[in-house]
This record gives sequence, C-alpha cells and structure tokens, in this order.
Amino acid sequence: MTEVTAPPAQGNPDRGLIAALRGLLARFGIFLLPPALLLLGGAISPAFLGASNVSNLLLQIAPLGIVAIGQCFVMIVRGLDLSVASMMATAAVIATGFSGSNGDVASIVAAVLAMAVGVGLINGLLVTKRDVSPFLATLATMILLQGFRFAYTQGAPSGNVPPLFRTLGSGKFDGIPFNFAILLVLATLFWIVLHRSAFGRRVFIVGGNPVTGRLLGIRSDLVTIVCYVLSSCLAGIAGLILSGYVGLVDNWVGQGYELDSIVACVIGGVSLKGGRGAILGALAGAAIIMVIANEVLLFGLPIQIQIIIKGAVIVIAAALYARRT
Amino acid sequence: MKQETNALALARQWLVDNSSLIGVLVLIAAVCLVGALTTDRFFGCNNFLNVYEQSTDLALVSIGQTLTILTGGIDLSVGSLISLTSCLASGLINGDPDRVLPVAALVLALGTCVGLLNAALVIGLRVHPLIVTLGMGAVLQGVTLLYAMGPVGKVPPNFNFLAYGRIADLPLGATIAAMLCILVALLLRYLPLGRQIYAVGDDDNAARLTGLPRTRVLMFVYGCSGFGCAATGLYLVARFGVGQPYTGVNYTLASITPVILGGTALSGGKGGVIGTLLGVYLISLVSNLLNFMDVSKHYQLVAQALIIILAVSVYVNRRRAV
Repeated sequence: MTEVTAPPAQGNPDRGLIAALRGLLARFGIFLLPPALLLLGGAISPAFLGASNVSNLLLQIAPLGIVAIGQCFVMIVRGLDLSVASMMATAAVIATGFSGSNGDVASIVAAVLAMAVGVGLINGLLVTKRDVSPFLATLATMILLQGFRFAYTQGAPSGNVPPLFRTLGSGKFDGIPFNFAILLVLATLFWIVLHRSAFGRRVFIVGGNPVTGRLLGIRSDLVTIVCYVLSSCLAGIAGLILSGYVGLVDNWVGQGYELDSIVACVIGGVSLKGGRGAILGALAGAAIIMVIANEVLLFGLPIQIQIIIKGAVIVIAAALYARRT
Repeated sequence: MKQETNALALARQWLVDNSSLIGVLVLIAAVCLVGALTTDRFFGCNNFLNVYEQSTDLALVSIGQTLTILTGGIDLSVGSLISLTSCLASGLINGDPDRVLPVAALVLALGTCVGLLNAALVIGLRVHPLIVTLGMGAVLQGVTLLYAMGPVGKVPPNFNFLAYGRIADLPLGATIAAMLCILVALLLRYLPLGRQIYAVGDDDNAARLTGLPRTRVLMFVYGCSGFGCAATGLYLVARFGVGQPYTGVNYTLASITPVILGGTALSGGKGGVIGTLLGVYLISLVSNLLNFMDVSKHYQLVAQALIIILAVSVYVNRRRAV
C-alpha cells in the first residue's frame, strides 16, 4: 500500500493535508500534464502557444481521442483492440469506394458502421465464446482486414473523399476544429455511458471481477462483445475523420493508432488488467501523446527523437501508475 | 484388468498433455496432403529443405518469444531490436571480412544486453512487460533511425553462407535454429531454471513467495529473447546483404503467432519451444504452398489470419480459470 491509501498520521494535521494533496495529485495529476507540457513548449518557443498552433493541436488530437475512447472500454473488460488501426484504414478505403460526392456520405457511414459492427462482433465472439486471448483475436482481424483491403484496392487505392469529410476532418469554426467538436460530443456521450449508466457499471464489474459479475447475473459475454463493437465503430468513425484530415487515402491511414491508443489509455490510468479506467483519463493520455509529438516537430528535433521520447514516456507513465496500485 | 485401465488412462493423459503438439502435426500433415494433391512440385525433399531454410528467421525470434510468454510476459521490442542489430551489423562490418567475427559477437552481446535491460525495467519499475517492451521497441526504432535512415553498410559476399550455406545438404542457419530450440527444450525440461520459468509463469506471486529466483528467471528469458533477435538480425543481413532500418517491423507480431500455434498459453506457465518450432514450420509450409498455388500476397494475409483464428479457437476451448 502506498501513501495514497494510508490513513492520515495521528495528531499531525499537516501530514494529513499533505497526504490529501498527494491523493489529489495522484488522481488528477494526469490532467495537469498536458497544460504543463503546453507551458513548457510556450516557454521554449512562443509560437507554440499561438492560437493557430493550439487549434492545430486540437485538430490532431481528435482522431486519436476517438479511438482511445473505444480502446478504454475494451481495456476495462480486460481486453485489447489491436484491430483499430486496420479498421480506420478500411473505413478510409470504403470512403473512397463511392463516387466522392456529398450525396454518398450517408451510405458511406452506413457501410463503415456495418463493417465495424461485423469486425467488433468477430473480436468479441472469439474472445468470449471461443476464449481466444484478445491480443490474438484482434491481431487476426487486423491482418484479415488488411488482406481484404489490399486485395480490394490492389495495393493502390484511388478515388476521392467526399468534401463533407474534408470539412469535418480539417475544417475549423472560429478556430475550433469540427473534428474536435465531434470528439467532444462522443466523449460526453460515452462518459455518460461508462460512468453514469447501468451498462457502464456492468462494464466495470465484468472487468474488475468476472466471477462477481456472473454471480450477479450479468451477461458478461454480452457486455464484453458490446465493448468490442463500440471500439470498432469508434475506430471506423475516427478513420473517416482522419481520411478527411489527410485528404488522400492510402492503405495505411491510422497506422500506429492501435499502439498509440493503448498507450494513451495506459498513460491515462486505464489498467491493463482491466476493471479500472476513465474516459477523461484516456483523453488526457491522447492529448499528452499528441502534444509531445507536436512539440518535437515544432522544436525542429528530428522525427527519430519523437519516437524515442514516446517510448520513454510510455514506460515512465506506466511506472508511475504501477507504484500506486 | 487394472493395469489395462492404467495404461489407457496414461495414454489418454499423454494425448491431453500433448494435444497442442498433435494439433500442429495434424495441421502440417493436412497442409502437406493438400500440397501434394494440388501441385506436383510441392511434395519433395528439395522443396521441404527450402521451407526449412526459409523458416530460420522466424524460428530464431520465436524461441526467445516463447520463453518470455512462458513467464507470463511478452517481448514487443523484438522487431526494433532486429532492425537495430541488422543495421549495426552491416554498418560496422562495412564489407571488411576481418570485422565479421568481432562485430557479430558485439551485436549478439548488444542484443542480449537490451533483453537484460528489458528484464531490469520489468523488475525494477514493476510495469507490465507489454508496456516496457513496447516503450523499448519505440526507443530502439528511434535509435535505429538515428543510425541509418535507409539501407546501410555491406557485408563480404561469403557472409551469405549463414543464410544460404549448406552442410551435408542441410541449411546451416535453419539447423542452428533447430539445435538451439532443442537445447532450450532440454533446459526447460531438465534444469531447475527451466522449471522455475514455468513456475513464474503459472503464478508469479506464489513464485515470489516461495523464494524462487524471479529476477534470474526474467533476466534469462528476456536475455534469450534479445540474443535471438540479434541472431535474426545477423541472419537477415546475411540473406539481404545489407541492413535496413525497418527490416524487423513485422517480426514483433509474427513471432507471437507460432508460439500460440504451438500451444503456449499467452497467460504463461504452459507450453514449450518444440510446439513453437512446429508452429514456425507450419507457417512456413503454408506460405510456401500458397506461393505454389499462385495466391496473391493480399489473400495470403487473409489466409494467415484465418489460420490464426482457426488454430486458436480450436485449441483454446478449455475454459481458462477466471
């Protein structure tokens, strides 16, 4: 047990206060990190805190944030979703499979969501009904999607993304990117689902202690499957948005997001062992990753340093959490 | 009468204990059968030797990966470590035959050290190996790219003996990998360290409480994994004649597939390297067969995924204790 859970020392109010402060810092310290990083960036280069850079930052955070929300659900039920990046790229390829006009947006979204539900179902069913480890099940669907995508595009995707996606992916309204607004809406919605609904409580119970869940009569398989479906659907949406941001489609839209989203969750305090986590933490984690990436670029450091720093941050953040549990 | 039932029970127990090995062997036989029926060039000594030769790299990485998974961990830094060691090997040798041996030794030592560092971080920081090695992988990939952004260095022409050389008709690299695998299998079965690997994987806490040398076990398995990556890096340099900064990328996930196919549980404590080696041969056979059948690369990926799904969902039907 660490100082966080230790009772305040007797007869010394200062110690109690410090312990309480430490507890607060441990709980909310993660939310201080992105502003701290921003200020650090601003101290080194004033341009960093300029309105346009901050607005760009929000633009870059949105897709990862959306994926991280889904990843958070899956990780809380003791899973991992490695197929999210492949799902994103598949969504982008589907988006260009139509004529490229705004009239197709509804059918594109429907096609992507149908695909995502299918992928999520495969993941969820393999994990629950066949007892396959989440790592392998989602790895398999990742490769499966990649194979179908390559076969479909013959390695060189072509076609255009409807202009509406471009607006949603890269447009801004008074400096606030549209995609960030979408992230806010989705985050609020899923915050309510996870932290304020009966379903959310079931998610935590299934992840925290499956036996308890079973004894309480919770259909844990169903809860788990829904989490995987959510993750795939959110990845599909993020893929559409990212394809609009990138402007062109290749087979690798979203590459690296599977690991980045897991890392965002871990930094944000979602437990790899399941049963613990929060939407806001996952979002803060996503923000930290993107701020670091942005700072490295802005300071003109080589891209290699960015990869090294990201690796170090992953380990350090996880180490800080491990000490506390 | 009683003895008979005993023998029957023993036989049944043996079947249950080795069900995953038998499963892979059955799959291998099935692939061979399909191959023999569909193409006449598939079923023959020459082709099988080719398959054996092509399995070298995957075998070398997967043996170490099996050990880390047996302890309930995982090593996700293998891809980057392979890239790093292959770049360093060809960059430092740079065509000079005199440097081959010292550089090879240096690279193998470096790989082992990276593995030891992984273990030290896992133990010291008390962080899940998944995260430690993922972070280490990113750091190593960054370092590799700092060293070389593209293909780097060259090796003396006869260095490719490691990849294409044959001794008494047996491919050298693949045979080294198979011998290593048998060595590790014996170690797992007969040495205290081997038993301790299973103990740590089965119940880390119990292992700690009974005073097993957990530190030594983890140092050993991650060290082995690092060594295997360095060996793979050297082998790839021998095969391609040059080190490339992204040459190892696919091995991170690819090295896990044969381990699972061979019946090693991702939760640790169950399985072994012989199953992994058979898993490697199965994968190698399948991709060879698909090449013969003119299946496009894209659908080969689909086939690979389907095999993973099939294999794992058939084996893993025994309900894990929750």
